Amino acid sequence: MSESKKTAQLAAGPNAPERERSLHGLAQRLLRIATTTSAVIPLGALVAMVIVLLIEALPAIRYNGWGFLTGTQWNLGSFYSPPVRTGGVLHPPDANYGALPLILGTLETSAIAVIVGFPVAVGAAIFIVEKLPRVLSGLVGLVLEILAGIPSVVIGLFGVFTFGPWLARTIYPALSHLPNVPPLDIFRGDHGYGQGLLSAGIILAAMIIPIIAATARDLLRQVPEATREGAEALGMTSSEVFFTVQFRWIRTGVIGALVLGLGRALGETIAVALVSGSTLQLAHNIYGSTTTIAAAIVTLLDSSQSDPTGFSTRTLSEAALVLLVITLAVNVAARLLVRRSARGAALPVGVGF
Amino acid sequence: MDNVAPLPAVERPAGPSEVMAASDLVLGFGDATVMRDITVAFRRGTITALVGPSGSGKTTFLRSLNRMNDKVRGFWRRGEITLEGEDIHAPSVDPLVLRRRVGMVFQRPNPFPMSIQDNVIAGVKAHKMARRSQLRDVAETYLAQVGLWSAVADRLNDSPFRLSGGQQQLLCLARALAVEPEVLLLDEPTSSLDPRSTEAVEELVRRLTPELTVIIVTHNLAQAKRLSDNLILFSEGQLVETGATNALFERPKRQETARYLLGEAGALIRQ
Repeated sequence: MSESKKTAQLAAGPNAPERERSLHGLAQRLLRIATTTSAVIPLGALVAMVIVLLIEALPAIRYNGWGFLTGTQWNLGSFYSPPVRTGGVLHPPDANYGALPLILGTLETSAIAVIVGFPVAVGAAIFIVEKLPRVLSGLVGLVLEILAGIPSVVIGLFGVFTFGPWLARTIYPALSHLPNVPPLDIFRGDHGYGQGLLSAGIILAAMIIPIIAATARDLLRQVPEATREGAEALGMTSSEVFFTVQFRWIRTGVIGALVLGLGRALGETIAVALVSGSTLQLAHNIYGSTTTIAAAIVTLLDSSQSDPTGFSTRTLSEAALVLLVITLAVNVAARLLVRRSARGAALPVGVGF
Repeated sequence: MDNVAPLPAVERPAGPSEVMAASDLVLGFGDATVMRDITVAFRRGTITALVGPSGSGKTTFLRSLNRMNDKVRGFWRRGEITLEGEDIHAPSVDPLVLRRRVGMVFQRPNPFPMSIQDNVIAGVKAHKMARRSQLRDVAETYLAQVGLWSAVADRLNDSPFRLSGGQQQLLCLARALAVEPEVLLLDEPTSSLDPRSTEAVEELVRRLTPELTVIIVTHNLAQAKRLSDNLILFSEGQLVETGATNALFERPKRQETARYLLGEAGALIRQ
């Protein structure tokens, strides 16, 4: 009997029948293979996606150069003239791509979404947990979860036909007359008709609020009553109690939800395509029409496909790559932030993220 | 321990010997009456133990002394509770100020999710009782007072949740003491602690008097006997008997007191 067989037999117990033992071993092995595969698939999918995107975008990266990140023109070139070859890359003559408006549009709309949406979401969660009677709090929570699942095209249509014009009629006129002092002066100027940077940011806020609010609500409910009473027993006001106990308790988890929401905002396509005004230019002010990477890809794909050299779609792949990098960078930055803020204030084991 | 910092001087009115008192107090939740006709006084600088079987209303009574029940659903009260002769339910009394004057430590340690030092000074900071530059000294003073300083001096910025249960409870005591209360309410403060930690808490409580008035709920009759000057026995929501602890253990006036203090539980102590 070999050494390894002996150990296997010992592990299964000396009296276990031979057949049962081998079946047990087989099940163990199958389970290990199944779990390993499930763990590898998502990672493999991400790696494959990046590689394919990179291969597709490589010629565009070579031809467009760094100018892609700083240029503001988006010129497809002439599809009807004979293609030219520059540095081994085939492209229509006069093709000239700069994605700065898309990149800035992406960052700006998402920033507005977070600035508007985050306080509202946390406020809503506090209100639901602390102020609403139990029956209503369940109902409002349910509505919140339904809201998180509304298709973005529906939100986009609502934004372009109803909400955007309403903002332009009621809120924006007031905003555009704010005093001419920084930072309020960014609101001054022509406020347009409700399609543009600010409207897109607010629509994105509406889309990330349910995600953050639902998470914050669940976390707030987990704050131990005893800890909170400890703060009340020191004679703290309810806001002091909140910042001493609840806020610290939910902080890490809420930042996690914020990253999730930010991921959605950065990558949101159709709602932004509808509400941003969808023009390939830098917004002339906070109300100005612009676009984002994701929205531009979906609106430009059709015309790009008529490029006989295929260079235009390669450029869209490059844009997609930039979006991927932005999303990953935001994710990593948020994780570092969480690690820093949680130092010295670690929660009991098993609490937080 | 002789390196223990003295309790900071607090202005105390040189009034009558009673610090807190309840008269004709009736407490309940919804339709249920939990405590009936409680009239009792707490003498300045003493330790009073509240004892009685489970469900006798001790904790409800204790929590009404700093109005912690106010926010509990369905809670109601009749009768009067006074602090230094003043009705604590008078409209002029701010419950937040009351809770600074009447501190509380709970059954289980409940540190805040912040560093050890920030825990101690949480109340001090909220009430702006010290300058920013003094906060660290304040933390040291109270950690030393509860006998925790040497154990945590080099990890003030660490999480309190890595401390042992006993150390966490001492930290909560330091936190309660740092806002300089006049009365300290303890709700079974050692029920989740091991014997050594229990001893540390008891020793601290003894040291805190007579500068402070302590009211402690305990299920542990031996602890009540060791620690308290006065005893109040509750049963089924009523005050059975009250008096000096020794007198009550040796010459209980009522049969019920005798049965509770000197019965099975009491027999254990006398051995």
